[in-house]
Amino acid sequence: MDMKRDYYEDIELFSSGTILFWTVVLLVALFAAPLILSNYHAYLFNLIMVHVIVAVGLNILVGSTGQIALGHAGFFAIGAYATVLLMTELSIPFFAALIIAAFISAFFGFILGLPALRLEGPYLAIATLAFGLAIMHIIGHVELFGGRQGLMAPALNIGIPQLGLDWEICSEKGKYYLILSITILMTLFAVNILKTKAGRAFVAIRDSDIAAEVIGINLTIYKTLAFAVSAFYAGVAGGLFAFVLGFFDPFTFHLILSIIFLVMVVVGGLGSVMGSITGAVLITYLMYDLFKNVDEIPVVGDLMVAVSEQWLTVTGMDNFSMIGLGLVMIGIIIFEPLGIFGAWIRVKKYWKTWPF
Amino acid sequence: MNVKKVLMVLLVPLLVLVFSTVDGAAQKQRGFDDKEIRVGQWGPQSGPAAAWGSVARGSKLLFDLVNEEGGIHGRRIKYFIRDDQYNPSQTMAGVRDLVDRQDVFAFVGGVGTACGLAVQKYLRQNKIIWIGVCTGARDFQNNPWLWQMWPDYFDEGAILTKHAVENMGFKKIAYLYQNDDWGADAKAGVDAVLKKNNLELLDAIPVEPTERDLSSQVSRLQATGAEAVIGIMAPTQAAIALRTAVSLGFTPQWLHSYNLCDFAMMSHITDGLWAKEGVMTAAFTPPIDADTPLMNKYRDAAARLAPDERWGIFYLAGVVVAEPLVWALEEVGPNLSREAVRDALNSVTNRQGVGPVLTWTEDSHMPPRKLQVWQCGPNAETIVVQDWIENDLTRP
Repeated sequence: MDMKRDYYEDIELFSSGTILFWTVVLLVALFAAPLILSNYHAYLFNLIMVHVIVAVGLNILVGSTGQIALGHAGFFAIGAYATVLLMTELSIPFFAALIIAAFISAFFGFILGLPALRLEGPYLAIATLAFGLAIMHIIGHVELFGGRQGLMAPALNIGIPQLGLDWEICSEKGKYYLILSITILMTLFAVNILKTKAGRAFVAIRDSDIAAEVIGINLTIYKTLAFAVSAFYAGVAGGLFAFVLGFFDPFTFHLILSIIFLVMVVVGGLGSVMGSITGAVLITYLMYDLFKNVDEIPVVGDLMVAVSEQWLTVTGMDNFSMIGLGLVMIGIIIFEPLGIFGAWIRVKKYWKTWPF
Repeated sequence: MNVKKVLMVLLVPLLVLVFSTVDGAAQKQRGFDDKEIRVGQWGPQSGPAAAWGSVARGSKLLFDLVNEEGGIHGRRIKYFIRDDQYNPSQTMAGVRDLVDRQDVFAFVGGVGTACGLAVQKYLRQNKIIWIGVCTGARDFQNNPWLWQMWPDYFDEGAILTKHAVENMGFKKIAYLYQNDDWGADAKAGVDAVLKKNNLELLDAIPVEPTERDLSSQVSRLQATGAEAVIGIMAPTQAAIALRTAVSLGFTPQWLHSYNLCDFAMMSHITDGLWAKEGVMTAAFTPPIDADTPLMNKYRDAAARLAPDERWGIFYLAGVVVAEPLVWALEEVGPNLSREAVRDALNSVTNRQGVGPVLTWTEDSHMPPRKLQVWQCGPNAETIVVQDWIENDLTRP
């Protein structure tokens, strides 16, 4: 089936013509999508892609390196605030600001990676959790960061205003193309990094850090590197998120967001880039679209409204949506512990051996 | 092998089909047709701020009532509520959904400063009528498509202080506030009134919105020897502050924000201390138990149409924010347009439903500057201790 005959076959980006074909189809579809998308869907897609970037980065840390992290909303916040402040306070062009912000976020990731050298499992979870909470509160206390009132993102000018090169993106669809391009780059980078020395070192650390150290992997370097890379992703995503939303306050980056990010990764499939993407897409879609509009779905919606009015409290319908999201998560974890990616592997196996 | 390839090729049109079912670009947006006018509101129906979700449901009461009476000039009001869990990114998603997909004509209410700020630009660009954002923050002024009803927190701070100093004769005033713009805005009002009376604040003590142990703050307040404490904070913290103060034997006159004037709820979460201590709050609507024809009509309608709802001040606030839209729609008549409704709202003069007295002009969509001061009676009933009074001081 997936037999590899040499090393170069293993590190190829597209392991078969079929995958290449479908990737191209997907990309063409994604680039053509704004032609038929409404503004609302463009916004939703933008949000989804931002979450995809975070999930892909988080999966490098949680899935591939095996380090649990519950504070990614903190890195996300750092990315958002740093990008906007660099642009408004220091007049740095968008792309430079985004990259610097991502490196600032990565630096914090590196710092957080240091205690991770000594901590494992639940202890590490608590440390990262504390980090996420602390960032939210620190931002809320500093006047420069807009305090608790939050910050408005400036106009999204992706040119270099200092050189007279203005290229302002106003429409939702313009943002869509920008974010899509960055998402593709970040995804490619993630796929590739897992096939490099660093990526293999991550996996070795996840499987057994003692064994990894024995075979000559420097734990200090690679564990902190995993944190930094993951934080870099969250930083980029945060910078984009600032412009998707246009306004944010510290509370936007609360603890629940960190947990939602982790849920995306686990539901999608730990250690798989494809899994992170599907997880982020599914959870964001459910949270922001399907479960919000349940009552407008024909037949099912009316039925649920009737049930809700008969049996639940006045806010029953909305609470029911949250319960629904919880059930989906639990269902996936029980029936497909490897996440959506696990289901995909099974389908693929079935397909390969079809019709037997 | 060949069968597989054929199937794969068949998948392509399938994919195209899936993509094409996604809504096409929005048609010309009007927000209404001959049969209905679409109106929306966001509000936290679940999550940490769910208690304020009743505002959105209160508006539903008025629209249901209007529909029951045959709609407005033959058009029914179709009303959408979007639960945003008090999270701006969800507010944005919900609002875009309502504007782009459901094609709403207007929004009423909308709880939360951050949630409102996130969507303000978008709604303004799309020229969506928006009445009564549920916050007194200053960031919503000078928007030609937003009409404000929630009094400025500056006026609130001023009127509470004026009542404490001029009507009750207190000279030793302290201030306990939520450490953000809300607290800062109201403090400006407190300071202005004290300065006019040649007094000074004994102390201003901040509270973090997430703090749950306020003993150090309350001890500091007690040490100042304050006779009256002006408080600007969320319900939970006001309740904690009151409990802590009583347990320390510190019983000043508390005067709180209008956001806490739901005495039944406040009394409930303080185990009756709110009523026992006779806490006062500002208010900008008539009391919910007022015996006026309109209030009685809504109260009866609520008992009939929404029997599970508690007739509380937030629920009433939902009716309050929806009223001006109904007035304007009635005035405009059958030839509806956004501009016509805008002009109708701009000419609202000294009109009152079950909320404050409203006057808007083309140049000013400011909220009313008149407030009342209420005191919580022994059975959590409302006692009006200061009738409508206007703050005549201007922000420094």
